[in-house]
Amino acid sequence: MRPISRAVLRPYVCPTCRHGISAGRRRFGSKSDSPELYDVVCVGGGPAGLGLLAALRASPITSKLKVALIESQDLRKAKAWDLEPNQFSNRVSSLTPSSVSFLRSIGAYDHLDVNRVQDYQDMQVWDGQTGSRISFDWSMETSPFEDMRTVATMTENANLVRALLRRISDSGDENLSLFSNATVASIENGSDLKPEGPDLSAWPVLTVKPTGPAAETETPKRIAARLLVGADGINSPVRSFADIPTQGWDYGRHGIVATLALADPATQPFPASKRTAYQRFLPALGGPIALLPLPNNHATLVWSTTPENAAYLKSLPTPAFLAMVNAAFRLDMTDLTYMMGMQSSSSSPDSTPSHQDELTWRAQHTQLPSQIPPPATAVQTGTVASFPLRFRHAAQYVSPRVALVGDAAHVIHPLAGQGLNLGLADVASLSKTIQYAVSHGMDVGDLLTLERYSCERYLPNAKIGGACDLLHKMYNVPGEGPVAWARSLGLGVVDRLPFVKSFLMKNAEGY
Amino acid sequence: MFVSVSNLQFAFNISRKPPINTSSQIIPWSPYQPKLTRAPKPRSQFLIEPQISPTTNTITYTMASLRPRTLPLSVRALRSTLRQTRPSAINSLSAPTRTPATQTPPTRAHSTSSVSADELSHFSALASSWWDPMGPSRILHLMNPLRHEFIASCLAEGSPSPDPTSSTATLNYLDVGCGGGIFAESLARTIPLDPTSPAPTPTLAASMTAIDPSTDLIQMAREHARMDPTVDTHLRTGRFKYLNTTLEDVLAGNAPAPTPTSTSTSNPTSQPTPPQYDIVTLFEVLEHIDPKTSTPLSFLTNCLRALKPGGWLIGSTISRTLPSFILNQVIAEAPWPIGVVPRGTHEWSKFVNPDEVRGWLQEGLMRAADTGVSRGGSAAAEGMRWKCVGTIYIPGIGWKMVPGSEDWGNYFWAVRKEL
Repeated sequence: MRPISRAVLRPYVCPTCRHGISAGRRRFGSKSDSPELYDVVCVGGGPAGLGLLAALRASPITSKLKVALIESQDLRKAKAWDLEPNQFSNRVSSLTPSSVSFLRSIGAYDHLDVNRVQDYQDMQVWDGQTGSRISFDWSMETSPFEDMRTVATMTENANLVRALLRRISDSGDENLSLFSNATVASIENGSDLKPEGPDLSAWPVLTVKPTGPAAETETPKRIAARLLVGADGINSPVRSFADIPTQGWDYGRHGIVATLALADPATQPFPASKRTAYQRFLPALGGPIALLPLPNNHATLVWSTTPENAAYLKSLPTPAFLAMVNAAFRLDMTDLTYMMGMQSSSSSPDSTPSHQDELTWRAQHTQLPSQIPPPATAVQTGTVASFPLRFRHAAQYVSPRVALVGDAAHVIHPLAGQGLNLGLADVASLSKTIQYAVSHGMDVGDLLTLERYSCERYLPNAKIGGACDLLHKMYNVPGEGPVAWARSLGLGVVDRLPFVKSFLMKNAEGY
Repeated sequence: MFVSVSNLQFAFNISRKPPINTSSQIIPWSPYQPKLTRAPKPRSQFLIEPQISPTTNTITYTMASLRPRTLPLSVRALRSTLRQTRPSAINSLSAPTRTPATQTPPTRAHSTSSVSADELSHFSALASSWWDPMGPSRILHLMNPLRHEFIASCLAEGSPSPDPTSSTATLNYLDVGCGGGIFAESLARTIPLDPTSPAPTPTLAASMTAIDPSTDLIQMAREHARMDPTVDTHLRTGRFKYLNTTLEDVLAGNAPAPTPTSTSTSNPTSQPTPPQYDIVTLFEVLEHIDPKTSTPLSFLTNCLRALKPGGWLIGSTISRTLPSFILNQVIAEAPWPIGVVPRGTHEWSKFVNPDEVRGWLQEGLMRAADTGVSRGGSAAAEGMRWKCVGTIYIPGIGWKMVPGSEDWGNYFWAVRKEL
């Protein structure tokens, strides 16, 4: 408030009086006015924000930096998170090998509960319209005598967050402030603390307000950031402060997630540790359905579909929902479209088993492909949820003393499972940039420092986001036609040309 | 529309000039003030010269500011008039009369011997955009990290500190021709706030003194340094200093010594000990020396005089070859979007080749070893530790050190003053 009013009044006040005004203000409040100084302040305690903090604490060059993290959720609760061994959170992400090696390099992977983590070595993707198929594994690059290389690693976000928090608390609490249960009430530019202090007029100053029961007892704190990192998601307040616009659109699709238990596979995988992920594009229903493996024959479901279909699926009773999931991997588009419109059990009680009956009857008359997943047998209660799918890309990732990482910078379609991996790649790049700056006497908030991060990440993120967008659009053209032929031809060609496939996989995995 | 814009700019320029005057007026100046503590701002003398209009260029200011401060007022006025008309004549007169630093009384006249008037005006005009990351100095900003790396590589070969294995920050730096402080500020940032804690970088800086003859640039460098609380703290504690002075004055003891505890500045009657630095840096300075007023040889000799035995003199400059002419004159100073530096930044004839630098340094080492009673002789230059590595700017990638490319353009060089 004050800087604005001063700036507005400035032209109307004669220079000597102007001097007097500012001098008087200084005399009153420069001690209490001066905010606490931090080198890096990260807003948002998700995997990206915590990953940045853990990376900074892990490097000997940056471990002396004074860092702070502001998170509106309770981080103590996140650190104490625990579930039954066969219960899984529905917020699960796939980590590419490069994300895993980043987590290993900062020492966070050791804190991950490995019993809740599942690697998979093979991914089957096929087109529900034409049946054309592609199989992603590393068999073209490894000999048959060595272990299959991992395509990706499934982990619950809560498990990852807990591991990062443990890694951070392992590094001690020197020069570290975790503002848990706190929100950023305001961000504004600081002021010149003349004559006894530095000029903070180009530094972002945050007012951190505690939420919950502590709100009455604790007073808001003012902290100034040499570098303010926005890891605060799609509606990033840091991005609005930096006045960075975003481009993008809503897909008009929802992603349905659920944790499922699967039946034992009909044929045991060989080798025994091999796990497979399945994804089937359903052009008639608005997007792909994917079943990604979790430990103990569990799997997490991600089904992108129209909001109407999503609402319908969420309203179904469990047996009908399971039947729909199994049908989505097996039946033709016509059958699926019909079943998606069937009356649910609430209106006609006698038709309760009808979804299963339909599936059983229709499956007899459908030629099933060889790569279908084992049928889902149970849904973990309370895990069926949906979220809207969007595409966003910030116009810049950096501005003086501000950097955006993760969803604050880019939100993409989840069909390739890349969102979290791009966020972690941002964090790896930004922490490397900060290390370089500190070891070369650069100001970590300076644009000359941050442009290295922005150069490194902007194009790769745009490339992956654009590829996912293109796939989404190609696989949303229903029926037969030139687009369906073209995508089938493309899929077939890629599947038969090992070097093209390995090039694509390396791109997707950030090598 | 365009007329009004240019008028505005004109008004802006005019209104920006006077603050330099007003700021100098508030500094109390006394002709009898002994040179004891921090260097009095020389531009305070501007007070007695209201006849110089603010529309005259900055050289006049700076020249006036570097005038001897002990002469009677009338003589001073006469000299300043002379200087206004024929600055180079005065400079060439004053240069040869310089005496070795060790024999200089503490109140000797200032000399402006190594400062070139044209260069001063060129860089003073760049002052406002010096710290703009996209401005005309961008290329210098991009080169800055390599300077740290080159210093670190020199220190890895031979450390001036008594205990080479310790990682405590012990080295005192002098940056000659600091300009807007691109290097000086970045090095000051690596000085640990707690002197006993280990240094965060291999440059091991404990203090930094940065000097430049341009009043505007020093003023702007100080303003910019205040925007970083760490650097601001160092400025307040004196571990980091910006001095609007020349190398000759520093050698003559007119500037404060690197450590505040030094007794030479607190006792005016004692023999002035020249400040002794562990590292003297000369980044992009050598090619801006005016051959009419100074020679690189005398300038480098003075730099070596400021060094402690075992210390490094480290610099970077541009060689005078055909590829460098094409790169630095034709391409780099071409109009936007090809060019990366403002027109007139460099003068090809002033560029120096690595061999020339090396020759001057050999001669300089011998001269710097001269004392009042004996000559240094060739022993001082024998076994000279000389390092030289070229750097190339590749658009889109940045500066890269390319050994063997010394003759192509920019290069770093370093010499060690042996123990």
